[in-house]
Amino acid sequence: MNAKSDPSTIALPGICPADDAALAARLAAGEASALREVIARHAAALHRLAYRITGDAAESEDIVQEAILRLWDRAAQIAARHPVGSLAAPNLRLGGWLQRVVTNLAIDRLRRTRRLPGGEVPDRADDTPPADHLIEGNERDAATRALIAALPDRQRAAIVLTYYEELPNAEAAAAMNMNIKGFESLLYRGRAALRQAWTAQGDAP
Amino acid sequence: MSVNEHDPGGPIVRASSLGRALDAYGVPSLSAGFANRVVASAEARPAPLPPLRRTRRRWRLGRTFAIGVVSFGALATAATATGLLQQFDIPVPSAETVWARIAGEAPAAANAPVPALASGATEPTAVAKVAIVGPIDTPEELREAFRRIDEVRKGRLAVRNERIGQRIDSAIERRRTAGLPVPTAEQETALRERIAAAEARRQDVAEARIAARREALQRKIDNGQALTREDIGQPWREDARSLRRREALRRLPPEERRAWREAYRARNGAAIAAPVPAPPAAVLEALPDPSPDPNGRLP
Repeated sequence: MNAKSDPSTIALPGICPADDAALAARLAAGEASALREVIARHAAALHRLAYRITGDAAESEDIVQEAILRLWDRAAQIAARHPVGSLAAPNLRLGGWLQRVVTNLAIDRLRRTRRLPGGEVPDRADDTPPADHLIEGNERDAATRALIAALPDRQRAAIVLTYYEELPNAEAAAAMNMNIKGFESLLYRGRAALRQAWTAQGDAP
Repeated sequence: MSVNEHDPGGPIVRASSLGRALDAYGVPSLSAGFANRVVASAEARPAPLPPLRRTRRRWRLGRTFAIGVVSFGALATAATATGLLQQFDIPVPSAETVWARIAGEAPAAANAPVPALASGATEPTAVAKVAIVGPIDTPEELREAFRRIDEVRKGRLAVRNERIGQRIDSAIERRRTAGLPVPTAEQETALRERIAAAEARRQDVAEARIAARREALQRKIDNGQALTREDIGQPWREDARSLRRREALRRLPPEERRAWREAYRARNGAAIAAPVPAPPAAVLEALPDPSPDPNGRLP
């Protein structure tokens, strides 16, 4: 699943997109400081999103890095469509664009992992501790992770976008390249499946 | 309460047990040096390829198509204007004919029904192509010219006989419709035989004249003279009226000249099937005339 090249109008919560057009222009000019600014603004939220969809910390970092590098590559096109000072400039939301790319990359990785024998992702050497180690000792955390991991890929992404990232349905649908009706149906089924799994665990009162 | 029993797909309340469990899903922080790695990767990354020129490609396709259409139109117009299509026997309708078809109007020429020739009859336009290129200066060329002319004459004769037969049938049918006496089978057979005999005599006279003319042409060839198109073809009528009509026709614009020619052909063709205003004299004389028509014309 490939992200659209047109930047989304979705903004990450708590991030002011007012100067995204200027930031895109700086990225297009090849300024490393602009790239650092993008990472400072968006990387943590994007990593959180990717991790909750994939359940793998190292994989999530790869996804976030890939998304940011795609932005770096396409900054010239994006800046050309939203020149600073133009009417199109205020509509540019780099956070939304990155969010869409990360969502699609995460779902792609999940599908690829499922196709590989043994269900394992070939991973590069990384000093980051695996996610299992990070949540080790927290049984409740592990149980929740298993609940979400049991959901189908797209249902999982829908739950993460609406519950954890608190996106409105329309913005979450845009992040998944879906129409609103289809997304709402997907979300409904995801919530129902999650509740059913939660009940089956016997934790429901 | 984490499970909404009434709406299992409804929003998850954060204060519910399911909500609390979901909130407990912790997220590890990004590894140290993540930003440095990304920046280093970006700087080591090769320059991105230029964007695809999709809109330009669409324009190029459209432009190619437009140029093709315009070129074809120009070639077709030139071919029509120079008469190339008519040389290949492709009918080119006049502007009036095309407009009449579009507007649903029936021009006078188009009203004329197409003559229904019998299958045995030869359409003269299909064989009336005696094209003599350059002067004829050998007996072989002359024989070929005579052969082509004979083909045309044969076709014309077949059409003429067909028209005579149809006019007789039409006249008899009109008399029958009007309640007038019609010839009996024997009378009709005798009538047709007389007409055929008259036509044969006419042909004999024409062939004698043609034979004399061909002998003269043959002598010219034998004497080493070359024959032009005018020598071979039927000589133009040189009376003042014919000269005036030819000159007027020559001065017409090509479109009007073509329309006039089409109308002329349509009129000639319509004469077969249309009501016959003035039958040939031979038919008129041969038919029994019980009515005291002072003009001697069929009703």
